[in-house]
Amino acid sequence: MAADVTIEWGHIFRLRVLDVGLACCAVEFAAAAARGDDMAAVGARPFAPEPREANVMVISGTVTDKLAPQVKRLYDEMPPDSYVMSFGSCANCGGPYWDSYSVTKGVDQMIPIDVYVPGCPPRPEALLDGLAQLNERIGR
Amino acid sequence: MTLDDFAATRDVPSDDWYEAASELKGSGHDFFDWLSAYDDSDAGVAVVARIWSVRDRHGAMLRTRVAREGGLLPTLTTLWEGAAWHERETAEMFGIGFTGHPDPRPLLLPDGFDGHPLRKEFVLASRVAKEWPGAKEPGESVAGRKRPPGVPPAGTWGS
Repeated sequence: MAADVTIEWGHIFRLRVLDVGLACCAVEFAAAAARGDDMAAVGARPFAPEPREANVMVISGTVTDKLAPQVKRLYDEMPPDSYVMSFGSCANCGGPYWDSYSVTKGVDQMIPIDVYVPGCPPRPEALLDGLAQLNERIGR
Repeated sequence: MTLDDFAATRDVPSDDWYEAASELKGSGHDFFDWLSAYDDSDAGVAVVARIWSVRDRHGAMLRTRVAREGGLLPTLTTLWEGAAWHERETAEMFGIGFTGHPDPRPLLLPDGFDGHPLRKEFVLASRVAKEWPGAKEPGESVAGRKRPPGVPPAGTWGS
């Protein structure tokens, strides 16, 4: 078994989530992620203390052009084989701020996204489903 | 206290801006609440400040208008230091200046941002490049959508 495949196997059901909470979706994310048993059911452990200890980054909330470089920095600080989830309409595409002068219209302009979770805000089930799909994709 | 107490706005010429604020402070309005502005099209940029009297539980609004191009107002930071950030934000968002401000750098906009985004003529690039996403169904006509006064029509925007 090749080393990278082994590493990917190691990630299955061991998602250590870095919470990049930037706006109201962050509250929804925190509320959903605080249900530890639900998160454990999809193999995720939220609230990594720092980027180096995470392998999934969940960007929840509105990313502004001014803050975008800091989000990129967090991404760069994560281990190289990490995954990114865009949580909520703002992170996906700008959401209700689609024509704003200050909001980044989709965080995928800056870093590659593995899972998009739609909603304004998404329901807790949507977060769990997104994490489950990510697990499935890593295992494939 | 009635609603009028909250709604009372005093219009002053821009030359009297500082004096009017000083008088308010002298009359016990000691708490600086906020300062902002709005684009009043041909009348210029209207700057509004709200000052609160803690003792009397009474608020007063001051309003003045300055020119759209090169509009200047004296800073209120010598009366209330808390006005500094409000004035910095108002300056970058509306393209006016506050003379005597101790630190007139932009506050919120990224470095190198071009333009003053809260002015009506500021072009929002997304509206040029993208279809309005507010239709209930994909492909639904958005022909009846209203354009606010002062906002340039879509055909005249950029290249």
